[in-house]
Amino acid sequence: MTKKVLVVDDDPDVRLFSTAVIEENGFNPIEAENGEEGMQLLKLEKPDLVILDVLMPRESGVRMFRQIKTNPKFAKIPVIILSGITKKSFLRSQKALTEFGGAEVPEPENYLEKPVEPEELAAAIKSALS
Amino acid sequence: MLPNGKMSKILVVDDEEANVRLLAMSLRSDGHEVLTALSGEQGLETFKKDNPDLVITDIKMPGMDGIEVLKQIKQLDSNTEVIIITGHGDIDNAIEALKFGASDFINKPIRDEVLTVSIKRAEEKIYIKRQLQEHTDNLERRVQQATREITRQSNFLSKLIRSSHEGIIATGQDLKIVIYNPGAQRIFGYLHDEVLNQRKITELLEPELLSFLEQKKPSSGNEQNRKEACVYDKNRELIPVRFYGTPLFEKKEKIGTVCFFQDLREIKRLESELVQNERLAAIGQTVAGVAHGVKNILHGFKGGSYLLNLGLEKNEKGKLRQGWDMIQRNIQRTSELVLDLLSFSKERDPQKQSCQPNTIVVDVCEVMKDLAAKNRIELTTDLDPAIGFTIVDPHSLHQCLANLISNAIDACLFDENVSKKWCVHVKTERVDEQIIRFSVSDTGMGMSPEVKKKLFSSFFSTKGHRGTGLGLLVTRKLIKEHDGSITVDSEQKKGTTFTIELPFCEQVQSADSQSESEDL
Repeated sequence: MTKKVLVVDDDPDVRLFSTAVIEENGFNPIEAENGEEGMQLLKLEKPDLVILDVLMPRESGVRMFRQIKTNPKFAKIPVIILSGITKKSFLRSQKALTEFGGAEVPEPENYLEKPVEPEELAAAIKSALS
Repeated sequence: MLPNGKMSKILVVDDEEANVRLLAMSLRSDGHEVLTALSGEQGLETFKKDNPDLVITDIKMPGMDGIEVLKQIKQLDSNTEVIIITGHGDIDNAIEALKFGASDFINKPIRDEVLTVSIKRAEEKIYIKRQLQEHTDNLERRVQQATREITRQSNFLSKLIRSSHEGIIATGQDLKIVIYNPGAQRIFGYLHDEVLNQRKITELLEPELLSFLEQKKPSSGNEQNRKEACVYDKNRELIPVRFYGTPLFEKKEKIGTVCFFQDLREIKRLESELVQNERLAAIGQTVAGVAHGVKNILHGFKGGSYLLNLGLEKNEKGKLRQGWDMIQRNIQRTSELVLDLLSFSKERDPQKQSCQPNTIVVDVCEVMKDLAAKNRIELTTDLDPAIGFTIVDPHSLHQCLANLISNAIDACLFDENVSKKWCVHVKTERVDEQIIRFSVSDTGMGMSPEVKKKLFSSFFSTKGHRGTGLGLLVTRKLIKEHDGSITVDSEQKKGTTFTIELPFCEQVQSADSQSESEDL
């Protein structure tokens, strides 16, 4: 069965780019505009991989990532962060939330900083799904 | 009786013992304490030992006579009263005795009434002398006290002047320096001895500051006598100071001048350091923010060219179109970012001119109308006709209002509560003679306190890919250039109101146009 990859980004151009790469590599992309929509699709479609942006309106990638990794049902789904935010700032905000009384969360399976080459993105997707 | 209420102590000196006894008896019966001596020498001894108030001595005695006794007693204590007893008709000796300071003379044989009067007179003299003495002592004490107090105060003042961190220089009427404290030394570099009574204040200060010392009236520390200025030190280096100088007057007559100097070197250094730090921090923030924006745009370009490539390889027109559109959108984003950056970083004076703020509001709303309508957002205005014309940069005002209104529309667009009726309301108001107010309210998503806190910081955007993060920053900069203020009031899920207040300055009207408007 073709593996499903959920792309969560508020920027339609980024979604278009990612879905094109996913399709080209023989996987099945699904899209969400923000964290909230992303969580709904996650429950409905049970994707094999999530490619997640950080800065989004309504619900950010920081929160959605925590929701995935703290829920036993989804914690095993690999997450690739694809963002303009540096890995350092992302981890720092996760750490702050943990210290604020949240649960401990692991690091994402992969972290890509925009801009990425399509080959780089394809390699990350393949490696996460293998 | 003496002024202290005691009977006086009297020494009687006479070589004839019978006379002495008789006189002593008479005096004792009047209540006096009486000492006796039978010769001048013995009299002096007793005088030194017992210090009587009054001496009565016979003038003619073998050995030391009465005149000699008188002289010596007067030398020992000029306050002692001496009454001389003379033989009958011995006027010459009596006059001699008076010359040497006897208080009185009595002829022999001594009559009690005469003696009583004479003693009374002597006692009065003693009384007056003691009063005088007391008064003089008192005066001396007071002078001493006053001198001590003055010395203390003058020490206090000179310590005060010495320990003042401010430089203090004072001159006499001839402008020669008479006070030059260590604070002044720190500023001017001259040593105390190089300056004091050597130089005139005119050698230290430029004419601009000297003019403060030439005023005709005393000043009472008012602001006009203060000035931030520079003085030259010994090495002709410019030292920034806050200067206060004034002539000194006493009863309307000029008695000198005084100048105070606050050394501003450290403050200026800290100020420039602070400005430098802020500038560096701003540059850092700007670079980080720009980098973030550019990263996203670059990502878009990469995506675009990837799709174009795919389209070319597979000869798929759809992919070509998608790729090309993506590249165009990112060209647009690039130019938006660059324009925002430019207007944020440009140091430019606003091009102020007379214009009608209400018309600008109408113009902006006209542009925003379609976007609002498409998203079921009601855009309304309430314009105060009392505003009329004011002096602003119309372009700046246009940009600020466009920014706030587009933010307000976004706040509705981003609102999760789809059942809400969304409105954006723009209001203008002439608050008073000096202020006009613009407010842009929306019924959108509102802001959390955290978002509100970061509102005016660079590159903070909640709009994801839609914002450059510079809009409010630019708005605030433009408002600042107009000496205005921008404030925000927001409640999460309820909505937000931004308020701009600008100084109202009416068109400078010529006489003609004024009469015209009156005719109307």
